[in-house]
Amino acid sequence: MARPDRVRELRCDDVDAFTQSYVDGELAGNDRETYERHLSACEECRQAARFAGRMKAAVRGHLPRRPVPAALEQRLRVALAEQPAAPPRWPRLTWMRVVPALAVVGAVVLVAGTARRHHSMVMEQARRTYQASPPLDVTDCNLVASFFQGRVDFPVHPPKLAGPIECKGGRLVNVEDRPAAYLVYQDPNGHRVSLLVFDPEWSRIEAPTRQVVEGREVFFRVGPGISTAGYQDRGLGYVMTADLDMDSVRGLVSQTLH
Amino acid sequence: MAFFKGRPSRSDFEKEALPHLPSLYSAAVRLTRNERDAEDLVQDTILRAYRFFDSFEAGTNCKAWLFRILTNVFCNRYREKEREHEILTEAKSSDANVEQFFAGVEGGRDVETALLGRLVSGDVERALAEIPQDFRMAVILADLEDFSYKEIADIMDCPAGTVMSRLYRGRKLLQRILFDYAVEQGIVDPGKVPELAAEAAEAAAQKASSGAPNAAAAGGATIDLESFRRRRGGEGKGHGQA
Repeated sequence: MARPDRVRELRCDDVDAFTQSYVDGELAGNDRETYERHLSACEECRQAARFAGRMKAAVRGHLPRRPVPAALEQRLRVALAEQPAAPPRWPRLTWMRVVPALAVVGAVVLVAGTARRHHSMVMEQARRTYQASPPLDVTDCNLVASFFQGRVDFPVHPPKLAGPIECKGGRLVNVEDRPAAYLVYQDPNGHRVSLLVFDPEWSRIEAPTRQVVEGREVFFRVGPGISTAGYQDRGLGYVMTADLDMDSVRGLVSQTLH
Repeated sequence: MAFFKGRPSRSDFEKEALPHLPSLYSAAVRLTRNERDAEDLVQDTILRAYRFFDSFEAGTNCKAWLFRILTNVFCNRYREKEREHEILTEAKSSDANVEQFFAGVEGGRDVETALLGRLVSGDVERALAEIPQDFRMAVILADLEDFSYKEIADIMDCPAGTVMSRLYRGRKLLQRILFDYAVEQGIVDPGKVPELAAEAAEAAAQKASSGAPNAAAAGGATIDLESFRRRRGGEGKGHGQA
């Protein structure tokens, strides 16, 4: 079966193989142009492509989502409740054991026990994604804004950070089931800074430490080696995560809020 | 790296995974072709997902992750031994390029419109249920759940080329089966397309002489595309696919 990345000049015999990729939105760039060029010159292939598209639409149209039986959903919740109980994700004892030096911010850490009241999915997600360090979808800073256009509901323009810290690219992620933008920066010393950009209407920003930076409310959470700051700016939500101390992160946030 | 990896809370999991229940259930119904099995499949999938939730990379595609689990559970427990049926269905399709009919045959556009315009959900569900499991899975993932080829490859644990092949063959089979339904139901009148009528007659004659039960009149006979192309003198673009 011919793979789309080997499209050059197309003959009719080849087209059938690429029609499927085209209809599935998997043909891009040069390959797509070559294919469309062929289509514009060939009526039969054009008809075949149109048929494939209509066929796909017809299949989708006639196979709707089935409603989940209420009894099934109920059964699932019961079954999940019966699974062995899970301890809280941020156990206080673990923190205290691992980072006695954080006694200085002990007031912050101790709040971990009550931190579940300040539980913010988006702040946690930013930290988890930062630690997982997943591969980037777009690796050219200049293409970041156009990459996210159409993929998220809001414009994404990577803020410029202090001199040597460069934007390395971004990745499309989900925050509580809504698409969001995850941007990654790096400085020459190897420090990594990430910025999660999301719609604040759907996710709450909260953390134990609250400060005012450039007249704006910023929430901080500090852990071993990683600091997180959440804030809103011009209608968008941001969570910055970095392997820097809180003061440095506050400085970076202050720059973006200028 | 996993400083804070603890057991996730149930509400974390429910918030993340349960919104995908309609997708999972719909796919399960069409895979197992049986509502009772579909419910069991979904339940097994969700419980397994919960047990392994701390291996889920936050910020990544939860729906794809859940479907990967569903596919594993399906293959391990619910996969039927339908080899025989699959072979028969494939043989029936051969090089079925139904759209070649429409493209190359006079009156073809009318037939296409009649076919696509008169399709009903029941027919498509029935047709989907008739195609082999691997092809069915690929079509469900691509056409109903909008996964990319790469995501489908991850979910089905096979190379992207295999995904494309299964998708291609699955769709061809679907087209062929739907076309046959349309002829059976009289939506498509082979009489409108003389070559088809001739084929229908020939197929009916073959069936009669071989002693097999004769399909009802021209409208019910299965069209043999191979002979159709041979009759057209080898012209046209029909060709086999991997």
